[in-house]
Amino acid sequence: MIAFFRSHQVVFSSFFCLLVSVSIVGSVATGYLKRDPIGPLLLESMRPFQRALTSVANGVQDIQHGFRTLDSLWLENQQLKDQIQELHQEMEGLREAKATNFRLKSLLNVQGRGFRKAIAAAVIGNSASTWSRSLTINKGSDSGVRKGMAVVSAGGIVGQVLAVSSSSAKVLLLTDHNSGVDVIVQRTRARGIVSGSLEQDPVMKYITRNEEIHEGDRLVTSGLDGIFPKGLLVGQVSRVQKKNYGLFQDVGVQLAIDPSRIEEVLVVSAKYDSTKG
Amino acid sequence: MKLFVLFLFVAFLSVLLQTTLLHLLPLGPVVPDLTLVICVYWALSRPSVSTAIGAFFMGYTVDVFSSPILGVNAFALSLVFLSVHLSSRHIWIRSPLFTATLVFLASWVKVSAIVILWSIFLTTQNAWSGALRYIFLEALSVAFLAPVIFFLLSWAENRLAPLRNVS
Repeated sequence: MIAFFRSHQVVFSSFFCLLVSVSIVGSVATGYLKRDPIGPLLLESMRPFQRALTSVANGVQDIQHGFRTLDSLWLENQQLKDQIQELHQEMEGLREAKATNFRLKSLLNVQGRGFRKAIAAAVIGNSASTWSRSLTINKGSDSGVRKGMAVVSAGGIVGQVLAVSSSSAKVLLLTDHNSGVDVIVQRTRARGIVSGSLEQDPVMKYITRNEEIHEGDRLVTSGLDGIFPKGLLVGQVSRVQKKNYGLFQDVGVQLAIDPSRIEEVLVVSAKYDSTKG
Repeated sequence: MKLFVLFLFVAFLSVLLQTTLLHLLPLGPVVPDLTLVICVYWALSRPSVSTAIGAFFMGYTVDVFSSPILGVNAFALSLVFLSVHLSSRHIWIRSPLFTATLVFLASWVKVSAIVILWSIFLTTQNAWSGALRYIFLEALSVAFLAPVIFFLLSWAENRLAPLRNVS
């Protein structure tokens, strides 16, 4: 009998442990065992080691958190870089909008001068030929643009409407050799015609030899051609040459605006609105 | 005696690790049960009255630190010890894969025992469905760890064995 127990002592001891376990569970569950005699001892003996290992665990967690933070910082950095890129683009757009706004405001100032009719338009195309200087605007007869109307910008006159379709119009620039505008020298009131040239800058024609004209004299529209309203800036005298022969002086003109850089224009009627300005 | 101290130290260390560092593993709420692996090792390699009681006390310690009711893990580990001990009489193959499989199955035995006790004494609602959420992951985690722990334990035992012979 004893030999049987000895040969199966592990099994019996295991069974004994099982029975003890079940009795502990039962006692605790039924409330018979209210106080654990060993538990507090175990907890207390383990406490310093747990504290030490927990601090190690916290350190490891801190390191993990640090790496995660670094990772998220890297990600955030990337996102911020993207954002900066987007903001740069947006800023460029805003700069462009600001410049457009400035130009349009200038145009409004021109419009405020009291033209009888003023139509704002945007330049949508340039000349297709080397031999002519023209541009296309996005307003046509539907908007009230008519052939022969003057085209001006904030800086000065641009040209005149040469052809009109329902929603666009072709503008002959002042720099074209076929164009011409009646001008007066602001200082001396001497009259002449500013016209484009294929060879050089626009020139002022029909200035008689006895007229006192100097470089830098401002030229404004006379309003006598029936196309351009009076008093619009055309440009200034850039060169004066009196030859030994002929009736007229050779006068070069530097235009107030560069037609190749115009983006918005105002199509105006030559006559002023008497109720304005 | 030295072996007893070793086992005591290992049991202590496993509970300590389970309550601290092992929570850092990215397994969610699952903590690999090292005490289970040690229990299986004892039942397989060192079955004795002292290791049977050791399994019981290891379970009891786990109860002290984590179970809402004392004795549940003590019962479960005792049952695992007994089951492995009884089945080890018919097992002659010892390999890492076998170890992992045995621990994997032992994990199911342990959780089953716990759930049964919960159901009887605590009338826990949906105990099985709750256990099934994590049982596989826990079993898998200990199955992965088992070959390494078995190797370390057997290495430590071998280191102590010559000393024991000398003394």
